[in-house]
Amino acid sequence: MNNLLQLFIRNGGFITFFILEVLSIYLLVGNNQRQGEIYAHSYGLFAGKVLNWQSGMREYFHLREEVEALRAENADLRTQNINARLVEVPYRDTFFHVLYDTLTGQQGLHRRLVRPAYEFVPATVIGNSISLNNNWLMINRGTADSITANMGVMSDNGVVGIVRHTDAHLSSVMSVLHRQTRISCAVKNKSAIGSLVWEDNHPRYMTLKDVPRHVEVAEGDTILTSGYSSLFPGGLLVGFVEGNPKTDRENQYFYTIRVRLTQDPADVHHVYVVRNLFRTTIDSLEKLTYERQ
Amino acid sequence: MSGSDLWPNAIRFAGLTVLQVLLLRQVGLSIGPYFNLLVYPLFILLLPIATPTALTVMLGFLIGLTIDVFYGTLGLHAGAGAFSGFIRTYLFFVFEPKGGYSGKEPTAIPHFFDWRWFTGLLAVFLLLHCLWYFSMDAFTFVYIGTITLKTISAWALSMPFALLLVFLFNPKR
Repeated sequence: MNNLLQLFIRNGGFITFFILEVLSIYLLVGNNQRQGEIYAHSYGLFAGKVLNWQSGMREYFHLREEVEALRAENADLRTQNINARLVEVPYRDTFFHVLYDTLTGQQGLHRRLVRPAYEFVPATVIGNSISLNNNWLMINRGTADSITANMGVMSDNGVVGIVRHTDAHLSSVMSVLHRQTRISCAVKNKSAIGSLVWEDNHPRYMTLKDVPRHVEVAEGDTILTSGYSSLFPGGLLVGFVEGNPKTDRENQYFYTIRVRLTQDPADVHHVYVVRNLFRTTIDSLEKLTYERQ
Repeated sequence: MSGSDLWPNAIRFAGLTVLQVLLLRQVGLSIGPYFNLLVYPLFILLLPIATPTALTVMLGFLIGLTIDVFYGTLGLHAGAGAFSGFIRTYLFFVFEPKGGYSGKEPTAIPHFFDWRWFTGLLAVFLLLHCLWYFSMDAFTFVYIGTITLKTISAWALSMPFALLLVFLFNPKR
């Protein structure tokens, strides 16, 4: 209080001036038409700017929720999209021979049965390594989100890895940069499939093996997932052929193709875990096949 | 401000207000928007030199507000008056004569100083008052040309009129 008094004694003139000037502007704006209009106009401009800025800030703070929502929606759309390309099973009725389409719900001769086979669960990468011999990622989804081991993990740009261990809310993912990685891939528009492995230590390049040499593979060809494993649906972009394919030293009838990944393993943030709804069936069939061999 | 200063200033307050409102306002209204005579700032300038700034600001605001009531421009003259009351202190500082102010010159009038000094002080004071007044009147610097023109015309008209008043009444206190 004493300090306040001291302040007033020292700057009383200015304080009085300031207060009275504010008061007179208040009176001026409130009681005079022209000045009032100018004030209202300027205030409108100013308030508009402030509101704009404020809403910008608010959007910024809600960005996280927005991203979450968009990714959930993305996963839904991906699920629909990938399933729409899937198996069409003719459905035979007792009386009619009808093709049935659950997606469009249309009835008629061209109805198809679309069997949903995949589901995508959005997840965020919370840990990642690329410099080891065997690299791992950690994602923030686990058994609580119905994630189990041996599920593929992909991003918007390509493949990321395979789930190996799960906790209630966390999963460790074997990165594609791992010696045990083998992903069934195909060369786009060429009827050739092979296995994608990580041989040289470059964190952006992988090697496609087991592509027979009679298939003409050139630099720049697109590598997609084949869809022959239960990990990934077919047709996902994986990478592009880098350099001319070489003959495999171990087996001269096959290529060893260097592939540049479209998804940089060093820069993954938002991923989707692929749930194959038919995995148990596929696994038991595979098991049967191996047993009968 | 001692008791003896009260009456001359009260009379100046009343006289200048009446003059401004009854005569000069009508003259200005009948001639045109660029014909403005502002003499009431004389009251603010002629307050005793030793008056605290806070008080001159308040008195400036008060006479401005009184004139505003009659002009129908509430807040306009009041703001200019408060401004004049505020800058008065700094003008006295700038115009400080050699040897400073002594108690023998309680008021800034030609009676104590000389006409040259008083004219210079009044010129700057009135110019600043007019500038503030017309800036507040326009309320935007978009019309800076009009503000300047009005300021200069009002200043050029008010200066001789104010000097004439001081010359005629030649106040001693």
